[in-house]
Amino acid sequence: MRAIIIDDERLARTELRKLLQDFPEVEVIDEAANADEGINKIDSLQPDLVFLDIQMPGKTGFDMLAQLERAPHVIFTTAYDEYALKAFEVNALDYLLKPIEPKRLADAMQKLHVAETKENHIIPENFNQSILTEADQVFVKDGERCWFVKLSDIRLFESVGNYAKVFFATNKPLILKSLNALEERLDPKTFFRANRKHIVNLRMIEKIEPYFNGGLLLELKGGEKIEVSRRQTVKFKEMMSL
Amino acid sequence: MRKAGETFKFELIFMPVMSRNTRYWLFQFGGWGLFALINIFFAFSFDKLNKVDDRIFFFTRLGIFVFMGILITHLMRSIIIGLNFLQQKLEKQLLYFILVTLVFALLISFINIEMLIRFSDKSFLRNVDLLSDNEKKVLRNPENSYFSNKLLVVLSGAFYFFIYFFIWNLIYFTYHFITKSQKQQLDTLKLEALVKELELKTIKAHINPHFIFNSLNGIRALIDEDPSRARNSITELSNILRSSMQTDKLESVSLEKELNIVKDYLALENMRFEDRLRVEYEIDEDTLDQPVPPMMLQTLVENAIKHGISKQIMGGKIKIVSDFKENYHELAVQNTGKLVNGTAKGEGFGLPSTLNRLSLLYGEKARFSIKQVTAEIVEARVLRPLQFSI
Repeated sequence: MRAIIIDDERLARTELRKLLQDFPEVEVIDEAANADEGINKIDSLQPDLVFLDIQMPGKTGFDMLAQLERAPHVIFTTAYDEYALKAFEVNALDYLLKPIEPKRLADAMQKLHVAETKENHIIPENFNQSILTEADQVFVKDGERCWFVKLSDIRLFESVGNYAKVFFATNKPLILKSLNALEERLDPKTFFRANRKHIVNLRMIEKIEPYFNGGLLLELKGGEKIEVSRRQTVKFKEMMSL
Repeated sequence: MRKAGETFKFELIFMPVMSRNTRYWLFQFGGWGLFALINIFFAFSFDKLNKVDDRIFFFTRLGIFVFMGILITHLMRSIIIGLNFLQQKLEKQLLYFILVTLVFALLISFINIEMLIRFSDKSFLRNVDLLSDNEKKVLRNPENSYFSNKLLVVLSGAFYFFIYFFIWNLIYFTYHFITKSQKQQLDTLKLEALVKELELKTIKAHINPHFIFNSLNGIRALIDEDPSRARNSITELSNILRSSMQTDKLESVSLEKELNIVKDYLALENMRFEDRLRVEYEIDEDTLDQPVPPMMLQTLVENAIKHGISKQIMGGKIKIVSDFKENYHELAVQNTGKLVNGTAKGEGFGLPSTLNRLSLLYGEKARFSIKQVTAEIVEARVLRPLQFSI
């Protein structure tokens, strides 16, 4: 497993590298000292795992994640930050408090293995890096709250000006991405552009009803009703008949 | 130093119904009234009020006495208040107390006799002599001069006045002594509570937990990389922890001591930030023995790191200045960075606690400012009035 350590303190990176020597399955391929450097290295090296400090100069670890197209597996490392810990306690993969306890690190690695093996069963090796598959996760930050969201859990993207509203579970945070940009990156087998304003997850459709002008009305598992434009209805029927 | 609202609260506790003046007059009339009643009672029981002349003699004398008593004690009170006797040390208070009583007793006795002699000649008193037989005897003793006779009467009168004024003053001073000590007790209790609260808050606020854990993490990495540096760092960290626990009990420390802590602190931050942190000192040697509130400079430096250096990708510089400016001791911490929103409002506990402590210690005389001095540099500055040793 290829990992990158992002932390503004050299000594903290050194210390973590040393601790990771006990885990031969993890190979630390690079380090970064701030968020911007981190984004570049994640984009170019595509690591499987990122150890990420939250408080860094310029941008926090959260801000950095929110900028990434696809969130890698992340283990947060932080010294003490109640505020930040609260923000992601809901569904972060894991976080470690510095100075890191070796036992806690072992637990975190164990958790990671479980998550990895589960995923490997569902999808084959990703051949097209630029397309996000269902198993990919994104990091969503809305104000003070943060989520890691699996794309398969997202029911709907709705365009709101320059933003997109992301519907999953009971949350509807906004992300700074246009619907067109999202459409390009999403797997067309799962995500369907129903109209100008909506992209729906096909696996989240509960009911399909005919609508005016030969269009369709989709009812999603969350109860949202989305109209499919006439032009897209043809495409939708084609896809469904396959 | 204390806020107006708090003083007001104490006033409420000690004067629930009446104002200070109303109560004074109540005591005054009550006391003298009681004195008059006791006198009447005894005069009555000893059959001194049977004849009309005796009655006129008795009541006129009593009336003059009480009237003068109230007038004079009131005058005495204005002098006590005017000269601030109650604010003096206890020994001085006692001395003034005796002195005032004595002077007033002599003075009043003199006026009293003069008045009595004069009133005796007035026809509206039906030519009743207001002087007692003894006084007459002494005053009209042909063997001595009139002047020395009078002196004797005045002195003997002064003796009685002295006793009455002594009692009056005793009540007055005791009353004030008790109220004052009660108030002091409450004040001390309140202050103690405040100090406790501050202690708790300051221990937490002065050493940022983020800093402690990051330092420990750094030290752990240094143990392999540079063991002697790691040992030093542990000493530095212990110094900071120890002083932050001890100094909360002290009102002030010398700048030199405070600077030692700051140096330890910055050494640790240097371990973490490495070449991202540069430190400069500009300390006037003579200011080293100036008393400063403990951990105040430290808080400012910590702020400079937290909001300044740690936010800069390329890091920056911290400069600590200590100098004399006219009648002030100036302490300044400059750091690379940008002041958010122009003011650092409500950011944590650091700045509010600094302001709070300064105003507690120096009232309006100390000044604190934080501002963007150049495009790149933020400066926090404390002007503390110079204290001369007493």
